[in-house]
Amino acid sequence: MSATKTDSGPTDSGCIRPLDGVRVIDVGNFLAGPYAGTIMAEFGAEVIKIEHPQGGDPMRRYGTTTARPDATLKWLSESRNKKSVTCDLRQPEGVALLLKLVAKADVLIENFRPEAMESWGLGWDVLHAANPRLVMLRVTGYGQTGPYRRRAGFAHIAQAFGGLNYLAGFPGETPVLPGTVPLGDYVASLFGAIGTLIALRHAEQTGRGQIVDVGIYEAIFRILEEIAAAYGLHGVVREREGSGSFVACPHGHFRTRDDRWIAIACTTDKMFERLAAAMGRPELAAAELYGDQRKRLAARETVDALVIDWVASLERQAILDRCLEMEVPAGKVNSIADIFDDEHFQARENLLSLEAQGLGDVVVPGVVPRLSKTPGRVTHLGPTLGDATVAVLTGLLQLNAAEIAALRDKKII
Amino acid sequence: MTASANNTQDERLPLKGIRVIDIATVIAAPYCATLLGEFGADVLKLEHPAGGDALRRFGTPSKRGDTLTWLSESRNKRSMTIDLRTAEGAEVFKSMIAKVDVLCENFRTGTLERWNLGWDVLREINPRLVMLRVTGFGQTGPYKDRPGFARVAHAMGGIAYLAGMPKGTPVTPGSTTLGDYMTGLYGCFGVLMALRHRDLTGEGQFIDAALYESIFRCTEELAPAYGMFGTVRERQGSSHNDFAVPHGHFSTRDGKWVAISCATDMLFARLAQAMGRPDLAAPHTYGEQEQRLAHRHDVNEIVRDWCGSLTREEVLQRCYATDTPAGPLNNIADIFGDRQFHARRNMVAIDAPDTGEQIIVPTPVPRLSATPGSIRSLGPKLGEHTDEILRELLGMGDAEIAELRARKAI
Repeated sequence: MSATKTDSGPTDSGCIRPLDGVRVIDVGNFLAGPYAGTIMAEFGAEVIKIEHPQGGDPMRRYGTTTARPDATLKWLSESRNKKSVTCDLRQPEGVALLLKLVAKADVLIENFRPEAMESWGLGWDVLHAANPRLVMLRVTGYGQTGPYRRRAGFAHIAQAFGGLNYLAGFPGETPVLPGTVPLGDYVASLFGAIGTLIALRHAEQTGRGQIVDVGIYEAIFRILEEIAAAYGLHGVVREREGSGSFVACPHGHFRTRDDRWIAIACTTDKMFERLAAAMGRPELAAAELYGDQRKRLAARETVDALVIDWVASLERQAILDRCLEMEVPAGKVNSIADIFDDEHFQARENLLSLEAQGLGDVVVPGVVPRLSKTPGRVTHLGPTLGDATVAVLTGLLQLNAAEIAALRDKKII
Repeated sequence: MTASANNTQDERLPLKGIRVIDIATVIAAPYCATLLGEFGADVLKLEHPAGGDALRRFGTPSKRGDTLTWLSESRNKRSMTIDLRTAEGAEVFKSMIAKVDVLCENFRTGTLERWNLGWDVLREINPRLVMLRVTGFGQTGPYKDRPGFARVAHAMGGIAYLAGMPKGTPVTPGSTTLGDYMTGLYGCFGVLMALRHRDLTGEGQFIDAALYESIFRCTEELAPAYGMFGTVRERQGSSHNDFAVPHGHFSTRDGKWVAISCATDMLFARLAQAMGRPDLAAPHTYGEQEQRLAHRHDVNEIVRDWCGSLTREEVLQRCYATDTPAGPLNNIADIFGDRQFHARRNMVAIDAPDTGEQIIVPTPVPRLSATPGSIRSLGPKLGEHTDEILRELLGMGDAEIAELRARKAI
């Protein structure tokens, strides 16, 4: 593997970033919400992460541990480009400090339970008074309103509630996780980042800020195609479909002779014709046989069995080569080891290698999406706790050394 | 749920004045345009005269001959037919490009260039243009010319490998179009940033979005863990217990399922309380994550037995009472009956034009307090707005439009 070595460091290369000049205060924990700050930071926003002075964001301790007690790999990768400032929001002086920061910021990201901020004296009215242009992104499991708003919500719970987890697995069997990654956190944050940019645009045009309210469950529910429309109209309850698809055949994951897996997706008759040719069985695509999607769906088990047998007769690379030669949509079911070996991941610089203080090089995913004129970048991995406290308090708020020492004595920072 | 599309909030739509051309198909790039449209952009859906966007045939048929997916996801768009392969069609397209802010496309790499409508040509016409280009594998790299579909992107990006029972067949990660939507989201994030840069500098640009990258970017610490320790994460069925126990799906006495996830010791203590077994959270039993990870099978067994002894409702009520993170694995029938979905108005019933059918569709996400998004119409008929757009945007008259139609350019 060769990950692309990045050592641009905290000093920028002078390239223009589309979010240069945007200041974001991130008081969230874990990923749902804070990830919106992460991707904004990749494109130039200054993201100041506010953390509790004792231990900081619990994400520092969630995931694969490293030689550094303050940083798991998850923290290092997903808190990239952020600055860390300690501040205890449960103390009045901490609240006052945050309000001063908010007055100089464009965006505030938070993901506490609804009404937690309010109980500390940091509700929307107070924040809006401190900065009428402020955009506030609020991400929670269930959103800011409704009967379940106060319930604890984590990615997997919200994905289950939103209807995604029910759909992963084989028909009639245990619903599995739709991949062991916190999809809901990422998807909710993407919606949040979009809402934040739209609200920022409105604030810059009108001088008026607003709240962007995202429930993780509704972010997931929004991306389930026509599931609601089909139930509403016909009472159809979508069920788990295993490794296949209800609308196309063959469309799924198949085991190769060397005990690996490939994905084949024949969404149209033309694709199936190509697959039949790749299999050396062009007659299968004849109109009176399986040339028509409806016939393939009606004879799904037979068609799948033909593909299963063919795939099992060859090694993964041989299957892939034949499919690609005929332009059949197919690809390896990649493990992370496969990904590190893949020439396309390398060519697109999807893996970056950055030095983390005290740990050597750490490989992390690169920036998505790719902008031609103003690309994003990763300047540094997740910061140490409070690495920018003094710099931000002196630079942004003009506090002097004595004032900072006093705050530290009182454990406000 | 409320009926009929919402026409009342146009004044507050934050992207009013932004004009978007969507010449893409199916979901990924079009969903970016859908999002922009919900917040007020004028989205012109350009489709091939013969059949139009394949999304019109994807999913459950409607009475009108298109599908429910089309009606829902092409909301707020106007449809115009155009054949970019004809000289006249290409000229009309170029004239339109001069008057828009954003173009969304997802042809195979090199296709627009072959028609002499690549970035270099379009940029000449409109230096302020923002162009979203979505493909399976991106505009560069050795696989750039391969056909790309979300299933292949899920496989390539690493998520399909992680869905399924340990050592069993990798399954679809819940939805075959997950990667399409996620790419629409990343694409829209890119478009909004590029518009901001354009407004400040006058300079447009293109965004190169690949389906597989949208998936791979959301794989948490998969890459760093392999890079540092050589750890290959595998499928783990219904529980993901690398970092936390219990954390997964459990079946209840009535044959339903709940999700429970205890990321911290405090949350496990609450679960133990809910189970009526506070002793389980003692420091010498399973009070610490390290102990639970070491004895994950025992801990999961205890939780499984408890869930199996109660109905779903009983398990959830006990979890909620102690503030344990838990929830139902909702199917769509559960969702239609759920108070939270109703309170948040996550669905709206809209009268579909021409069919007498009421279509229930998801409402816009995210929720903006001052300038919310809206659904002003469902997916249009093929070419429903062709004449209107040509008149309005290019000032064409009836004769010109008839001529284009005669030449099969529109």
